[in-house]
Amino acid sequence: MIVAGLLSVILSALFLPGIILRTKSIASGRKGPGIFQPYRDIAVLLKKDSVFSKTTGPLFRMAPAVSLATVICASFFIPLSRYGALFSFDGDFIFFSYILASGKFFSIIAALDTGSSFEGMGANREAFFSMLIEPAFFILMSTFIMATGSTSFKEIYENFTVTGNHIVIIFSIIGVLVLLQIALIETSRVPVDDPKTHLELTMIHEVMILDNCGFDKALIHISTYLKMAIYGLLIFNVTVPYNLGIIQQSAFLVLTQVLFAVTIGLVESFRARNKMNKNPKYILTVSAVAWIAFAIILIMTK
Amino acid sequence: MVNYLIVLFALTLVYFASTERIVNYIRLIGIQGLLLCGIALFELSEVNVLNLVLIAAETLLVKTFLMPYLLYRIVGNSGVTKVHRLAMPAFYTLLFSIFALLISVILADSMLNSFVSIVFMTTALFTIFVGLLLIITHRLIISHIIGFMVIENAVFLFSIAAGNRMPVLINIGILLDIFAGVLILGFFGLRLKSHSNELTKLKD
Repeated sequence: MIVAGLLSVILSALFLPGIILRTKSIASGRKGPGIFQPYRDIAVLLKKDSVFSKTTGPLFRMAPAVSLATVICASFFIPLSRYGALFSFDGDFIFFSYILASGKFFSIIAALDTGSSFEGMGANREAFFSMLIEPAFFILMSTFIMATGSTSFKEIYENFTVTGNHIVIIFSIIGVLVLLQIALIETSRVPVDDPKTHLELTMIHEVMILDNCGFDKALIHISTYLKMAIYGLLIFNVTVPYNLGIIQQSAFLVLTQVLFAVTIGLVESFRARNKMNKNPKYILTVSAVAWIAFAIILIMTK
Repeated sequence: MVNYLIVLFALTLVYFASTERIVNYIRLIGIQGLLLCGIALFELSEVNVLNLVLIAAETLLVKTFLMPYLLYRIVGNSGVTKVHRLAMPAFYTLLFSIFALLISVILADSMLNSFVSIVFMTTALFTIFVGLLLIITHRLIISHIIGFMVIENAVFLFSIAAGNRMPVLINIGILLDIFAGVLILGFFGLRLKSHSNELTKLKD
């Protein structure tokens, strides 16, 4: 079952965007589209050809494919509880983080490659916010490492809920809080960004992909959905006990992913997006919360 | 249980550093009062029942209800809703608060003794630093009052940590609370002129 993690990411990615869409429809009192509407849109996009601006070069053409490849690569390292990851080695979470970052790097330089001032602005914001959120992930992982004494995703999650220490619940709660916020920021959702916005001045991720269309845009959407599923699975791993049976694990996986999607949908329905100049503070708050978890583990190990 | 409440208390401090609305500060002061009441009830197992009831009632009435109510009145009278526009941006306050947290861990570790738990010591020190940050980086007197209250909560937290051995310390802490509540809010808070957003002098 070493592909359990990868399978869960793919299956979750199939449903997550639809559930978010349905939640938003129900919350705003609309009938709304079906659960697979995002994939119908992607199917339409996949049938279309890409049109490239004359100012863009080969970097722009390869960026969507590289971005999708990095996300797929990252999903190889995510375990599903005790059913291990496809690849696992000491310090794999660093590889995981930086392979996602390299995908983002390609998106950013592709946006700069277009020569558009709007896309440059979006790339600038994306780089800045990614830089701010990165410490939160690493501090959280450091906390988990100190709590479990392991340095790979697989071993961390194997030892996470069986340490016998009641304080692990605190790490679970802080882990969920921080990972949820990281997911919102990394997948460009409200309150930091808005996937439905159409004003270039307030856009972050969407403004970066203004020049992409057709097949390339479909790849970008797929990689965003996969990334969302990866973070959902990370949240599942810090909340659900490791020693449950396969049926219970599966039931909890479905429950966690549905709750994750519904939470994102509800946040987008009931919360306004932040003013752009408030975003750095918002993101730094996530890091500060992660530091609290780290301080707890520092004290505990005394 | 005490550990969970202390972690929640520490989280309120992070939000103290990140928010810029006075109403949020007041809500956080109320939440901190409630958390301190819970911490006192769970931690002070060796104190006699009458004293424990007094401590719980004080934290609940004064810290959770009375002080936030008075602060709401001050905000209502003065019309000040946000921190001063020249106050340090919350981004930097948050950065400083993260440093403060790490310094608190190091300091608490270096002052480790058998009387006070390191968890209490770290949180109390962190609370003092955040209170000082609020006072230093903000310009309005309301922020200063709130910063002082946060420091007061730190003193109370510290007294709870040593409370089982020195119950008198908690009562002194309570007296300080009531003294500060009456003095600070009465003298400074309630005398603020109405609808003055530019409070540059104490007499404003």
